[in-house]
Order: sequence, then C-alpha cells, then structure tokens
Amino acid sequence: MQTTNDTLLSVRNLRISFFTDEGEVRAVDGISFSMKAGETLAVVGESGSGKSVTAMALTRLVPAPPARYVGGEIIFKGHDTLKMSGEELRKVRGAQISYIFQEPSTSLNPVFTIRSQVAEALELHRRDIGIVDAEVERLLALVGIRDARLRMSDYPHQLSGGMQQRVMIAMALACNPSLLVADEPTTALDVTIQAQIMELLKELKQKLGMAIMLITHNFSIVADIADNIAVMFRGKIVEYGPTQRVLRDPQHPYTKALLECIPRLGAHKDRLKTINHAEIEAALKR
Amino acid sequence: MTAYIIRRLLTVIPITLGVLLLVFLIYRVIGGDPAVRLAGKNATPAKIEQIRKTFGYDKPKFFNWQEVAKTSSPLAAFDSQFWQIVRQFAQLDFGKSLQSNQRISRMMADGVVPSLCITTPIFVIELMVAIALALLCAFYRNTWIDRTFVVISIIGMSISGLVYIMLGQYFFSFELGWFPVWGFEGVNYILLPVAIGVIAGIGGSLRFYRTIMLDEMYQDYVRTAFAKGASHKQVLFKHVLKNAAIPILTNVVVAIPFLYTGSLMLESFFGIPGLGRMTVDAIYTGDEPVLFAMVFIGSVIFVIANLITDLCYTWADPRIRLQ
Amino acid sequence: MTDTAANPAALAAKPQTLWSTAWRQFRRNRLAVICLGIVAIYVGVFLYAESVYWFARLRDIVPSYKVADFAARNAHPSAAHWIGTDFAGRDNLAQLIQGVRIAFEIAFLTSAILIPLGFLLGALAGYFGRWVDNTIIWLYSVVDSVPSILSIISISYVVGRGMKGIVIGMGLVAWVGLCRLIRGEYLKHKQRAYVAAARALGAGHLTVMLRHIAPNVLHIIIIVFTLAFPRFILTEVILSYLGVGITGEPSWGVMINDAKQRLWLGVWWELGGATAAMFFLVLALNIVGDALRDALDPKLKTAESSKA
Repeated sequence: MQTTNDTLLSVRNLRISFFTDEGEVRAVDGISFSMKAGETLAVVGESGSGKSVTAMALTRLVPAPPARYVGGEIIFKGHDTLKMSGEELRKVRGAQISYIFQEPSTSLNPVFTIRSQVAEALELHRRDIGIVDAEVERLLALVGIRDARLRMSDYPHQLSGGMQQRVMIAMALACNPSLLVADEPTTALDVTIQAQIMELLKELKQKLGMAIMLITHNFSIVADIADNIAVMFRGKIVEYGPTQRVLRDPQHPYTKALLECIPRLGAHKDRLKTINHAEIEAALKR
Repeated sequence: MTAYIIRRLLTVIPITLGVLLLVFLIYRVIGGDPAVRLAGKNATPAKIEQIRKTFGYDKPKFFNWQEVAKTSSPLAAFDSQFWQIVRQFAQLDFGKSLQSNQRISRMMADGVVPSLCITTPIFVIELMVAIALALLCAFYRNTWIDRTFVVISIIGMSISGLVYIMLGQYFFSFELGWFPVWGFEGVNYILLPVAIGVIAGIGGSLRFYRTIMLDEMYQDYVRTAFAKGASHKQVLFKHVLKNAAIPILTNVVVAIPFLYTGSLMLESFFGIPGLGRMTVDAIYTGDEPVLFAMVFIGSVIFVIANLITDLCYTWADPRIRLQ
Repeated sequence: MTDTAANPAALAAKPQTLWSTAWRQFRRNRLAVICLGIVAIYVGVFLYAESVYWFARLRDIVPSYKVADFAARNAHPSAAHWIGTDFAGRDNLAQLIQGVRIAFEIAFLTSAILIPLGFLLGALAGYFGRWVDNTIIWLYSVVDSVPSILSIISISYVVGRGMKGIVIGMGLVAWVGLCRLIRGEYLKHKQRAYVAAARALGAGHLTVMLRHIAPNVLHIIIIVFTLAFPRFILTEVILSYLGVGITGEPSWGVMINDAKQRLWLGVWWELGGATAAMFFLVLALNIVGDALRDALDPKLKTAESSKA
C-alpha cells in the first residue's frame, strides 16, 4: 500500500439539491471530507442520506435538470471537477475515478458481450494498447473469473450475480484509476458472494494501491476494509473519523443508534432496535 | 431456439384458417343470404336462385353430410362453401370481380406495384425521421426541444388523416399547382401522397419511439456508460440505439395496418391504381368477392409480418437467443 | 423505520390508495388538468346536445340543426350563423354541437361492447391459462390480423350501416387491445401471494377473479377507454369517407366529408369548424389519457397494443 501525504480528493462544503414540485430537497447539505491516495473511506448511512448522490457528484454524474449543484467544490488532484468542461470530465471518468454500482445485472448492457464492454473502457482511455483482447483477458483473470477467454464472449445474463459484479470491477480497473467508487457493491448479492467480493476488493487494493470510496448502509462489511468512516444523515456528515474509533467510541447519537441496530448473533434480545428520526433531528439541531 | 421457431411457424396455419373462418362467417353466415345481397333490389326469386347456383351458395356452409350419405365417401363432407374457399384460396384463386368480371388475382397482381410505390417510401421515411427525432428528444430530454416535439406530435396525432389529405391536395395541387392532383404517370405523382402520408403519421411514430428511447435512457447501463467516460453521442448511438432496436423491431409491424388504411385513402384521393383504391371501389360497389379476397390478403400480410418481426426479435435480443 | 408503537400519529395517517396517489400526481400536471377541464366542457355540450335531440324527437318537431334554408346556403360566418351554413343552409355550429353528441354516443356504445368482451376474455385467458388461454390467444390473433378498417367495414356491411354497424364493428375489433392488457395483468396477479391466500381460505375461481384481482386492473380499463375514445372519433371520419358512416345525423366525419367539395370553391369554414371541434376533444383526451397512464401505471407505455 502506497503511503503518500498527497491529498487525492478534497470535498469542501458540497451542496446538491433537487428541485421538485414540492420544493427544494437538500440531498447533500454542506459536507466536507478528504481522501489521501490509497485510502479507503466508507460512507455509511440509510437510504436518502445523500451518500449515493455524493459519490455520483464526484464526476458530475448526477443528472443536472432535476438536480442542481448548488455550491461547494470537489478538488480532485488539484482540479475542481464541478468546474471542469464536459470533455475534461470524460477524461476523468473511467480513467481516474471509476465506479461500480449496486445492481450488476442491470448495470451491464444486455446486448453487448463482456469482452466488448470491458474493451470499451480500454478504447475510451487507453488507445495505446496493442491487443485489446489480451488485456481484457488479463483484467478478467485479475478479478478472479476463471476461463476468462471463454467468458469473454458471453452476454451479461449468462453470468451469475457475483461474476457480473466482478466484470464491473474489471471494467472499473481497466485504466488504473486512482479512486474506485463502489456504490453499494454487495447489497444486491447474497451473503456468501458478498464476502467474496469484499475479499476481492481488499486484495485488489493491496495489489494496485488505489483509493476506494465504499458507499454502504451495512456496517458489517466496513470494519475489515475501511481506513476511515463518514456517517451521513439527511445530507450531512454527522460523524467522521478512523474506523476503529468510530466503531468503538461513536460520538454522535445517530452513529450510536445505527451501531445498536446491528443484530448480533447469539445476543438475547426481545426486540430489535429501530431508529427514532425525530430524536436524531433534535440532536442535530443542538 | 429452433423449437421456438418451429412452434411459431406452426401457429401461422391455425391463424390463417381462423381468419378465413372469420371472414367467411361475416360474409356468408352472419350477413344473411349473400345471393339476396348480390341480386340487389327488385330481384326475382329466379334470379336469386340463379346466383345461388352460380356461386355455389346452395351448398351447405361447412360440412356436406347429405353428400356423404349419398356417395358414402367421407371426403364428400368437404364439398361445402367453406372448404371450397379454402381450396380456392390455397391455390391463390380468388374468383372474379362482380364489377369487372376480371380475375381477382390478376387485379391484385396489377395493384401491388402502385401500392408499394406509395407505402414503401412512407414506411421507410417515416421510420428514419421518427427515430432520428426520437434520438434528438432523448439527447435533449427535459429541455424545451424535447417538450416542443412532444406537443407537435400530439397535435399531429389529433388531426384526421383525411384532413391532411384534403388540405394537402387543396394547397399544393390546386392552389399552388406544384403537384398533379390525380394519376400515376411518373415519379412526381407520388411525391405529394408520400409527403402527406409521412406528415400524417409522424406524430404517432415519434411519440412511440421517443417513449422507447427515454425508457432506455433511464436504464442503469446508461449510467455505467457515462461513468466509463462515454460521450452523449456514444451513449445514444451505441448503447441506447442497440437496445431500443429490440422494442422498435417488435412494433414496427404495428405500422403496417396503418399503411393499409393510409393507402386506402391516399390512393383513392390521388387516383393511384393500387390495392387500396381497388378496395375502396369494392366497398362502394358492393363487390363482395374482391372485399373477401382483400381482407384475407391483408391478414396474411399481417400474419407474415408479425412472424418475421418475432423471428428478428428472437435473433436480436441475446437474452432470448441464448437460452 | 418509525417506531409505530411509540408514534400513533404514523398509524393514523391517511391510507395511500392507488387512486389518491395517482390523483395527486395527475393534479401536478397542469396541462393534463386543463385538458380534463376541456373534456368536461365537451361533456357538458354532449348533455346539452342530447337534450336538444330528444326534445325534438319526443315533441316530433324539426330540431334547429336540421332546419334547412336554401336561400342562405354556404353562407359566410355571420352574426346569425357563427360558423356559417352548409350546402343546405343548415347552421354549422348547431351541427357541430350535434357532432359532439354523436362522438360521445359512439364512444359509449362501442365501449359497451369492447370493455365487457375485452375484460372477460382477458381475465379468463390470464387466470385459467392452458387451453383456455391458447384458444383466446388464437381468437384475438385472428381478429387482430385483419386490418381493422376492413373488419369494421365488413361487419357494418352485413350488420347494417350507420350507427349500429359502426359501433358493433369497432367494438368487435377494439376488444383485442384491452384483452391483451388484462390477460397480462391476470397472469401476473395469479402468481401473487394474495391470490394463494384467498384460495387457501376457500374462495372459488370466480370470486378470486372478480372480487380479488379485478379491482387491481380497473385502472387499465379507464386508461384504455380514455385513449380509445379519440381513436374512435378519428376512425369514424374514415368510415364516413368510405361510405359506411352515419346517415341522417351530422357527425364530424360526415361534415368533414361533405366539406370536401366545397373546399375547392373556397368555402373552408365548415371543414375548419369540424376539424377544430374534433381536434380539441381528441387532443385533450390524448393528453389526459397519457397523464392517467403515467399516474396509474407507467409500465403500460410500451406494453403491446397501447400504441394508438
């Protein structure tokens, strides 16, 4: 793992709102955080907390007519992505900052082969590669797909969920990005596959040294892999710090409530704990 | 996959027979005595009887059990009106027109080319223009460009095709004299009908294809493509179009009946001697054999077109092709 | 994740039915609401026109729209005749109003055939499956294969021209669209847990079909009706052209066709009036139908046979 002191990503006071018929919905309401090269940051929160919007905003992937980038800056390697032109952004997407998404079955294009989809990532950013097929095979093998050569001519629907997600990861890593954004990568997969994918990400992180931003609502996958945790609630970051500290000694009532919600095997409980949002909001206002 | 193809091909037969049965029911059974209709007003019973014999209306409708009793041959059961028609039509013999006494199959052969000269250009042009505009709408979705096209297409759909034809003919042929009003003597005789046909139909097509394109735009794989760094153009023309081709293909066949209707009116207004005008004339003159044949042929065309699109669809969608 | 035991307010919140959510979404579409208003106006005109018709018929007098005045034939729009007169000197505006009546009558009568037929066959096909389904699929494939205009003409040819022929013809052709959609819904709902639960409680097939599943597909009938109405109006124009139209009463199709010859003499207001009257109703219905579909079941947009 590389350790440099360069700040890879610095988000300052980011604000993104959706303007609907019912008024302004502040999806991201003034958040700031930063990531160093090679760091793994977990962004944890419920649905609607704004974590996915934050992740998509890094390369302005949030569709701008319903949403609007109201304010703040996203400085990636010294440049503000919110101010980049379309062409500059396209150079960053897929090459410097890559994404994997929640539903691999629908995130892959059903009418193109695996080979052509991975190759597309290469063709967009690494024109210099000689034989594309060889590189595609190498990438698929890297993410643990056996018989990569045969698998290449398959279509997404012919693969299992776990394999589809591996293909997504291969596509994301094709151009050696500095930052991999994983938006709920294991939520749609079943538990054993979840573990496999998280293992794969850990392995790749060690091999390739890229930074990872892991978006999830599931604390249990975070402990192993993340260096830092940011907890989001209603568009704001309510807790931010090193993983072990946040897990052992949560400061904010919301973080405490979230951690208490995790059912523990073997514990004797009559009721599962839920979260009272009204209390949390009151705590926020204090 | 081949099993599916074979099964699909086999459904053509019961449907075709079903169509024949339906048309037969309408013209020979439900409508009362066709001989009476054909004889017209002031017909003597003798004349009606004569018509009956000539056209075979005196035979039983479906199964001729009397003949079986007489000749003790089971095949005689099929000496009835319905099976006679089945036999005839299978040999593409549609009888003769009441009006002109011409062989109907001959009339059809004559009328096919003029009809195609009108319907094919309309179909192709409308398809291309509508898809191009739909892509435009998908590109500029949620902007005024998109909304304007939606409004235009709904307005276009709300005006009767007849009005388009009437106004088009009035302004461009009569008032301005740019195009001939009637006839089929050269290329410039089809320019105006084709133009009107496209304009009348573009509203509905655009609205439909736009829905398909937009549906695709909201799919997850589009998000992935953008995340990979693809440009809008690449996303539209490579990713969306290929996926949209599947529902477009399935529904292109729905356009065919409209070509049929359109050609009915266009041909009769502009004097194009095609199948449409033949049908309209048959309606006016009550020429039943012609109508019967046209209805049947129209259905066969539709059945075959449906079959072809189904097969294309099965081939185009890898999720179905590779099961 | 609200703790409802500690928060009775959550329990008492108003239930969100499909209809209330849909209505709220519909209301937000200002264009659709305006068009709904337009349709309401037309409904008012329809009721008025019906009363004129029946008043005249029951009293055995000639209604105003049939009063011929040969001296004032083809008159320009004027104070006496806002949209001028036709070739027999009859007032165009009065005829247009009767056109509204004919349009609505056609739509209601045709739907009286199309809806029961389409719903019943679709429900049977989707619910029972197997040979019932196969037979019904064969049936609607056959009906669907024939170009609809020709079917309608053939049917009205033998049943009798005029209103009866048109309505029966269109009804016997249009049921296919509804049937397909309903069949799809029943196929889907048959697999749902609530159906299994109902059957486990001893409900018979008919009860499940009508009492349990049917309410879930009612919205489709409304959407189909709203979108089919403008199609019927447009089809009637073509049928009139082909000589299979209404006789004796001024429908928009009749008026447009009559206006054909006079257009070339420079007399355009009859055509313009009929086209405009038709246009606004068709447009409004299409927009309302679209908005209803978006509010109630957006997936129908690309479903088979919901194409106009």
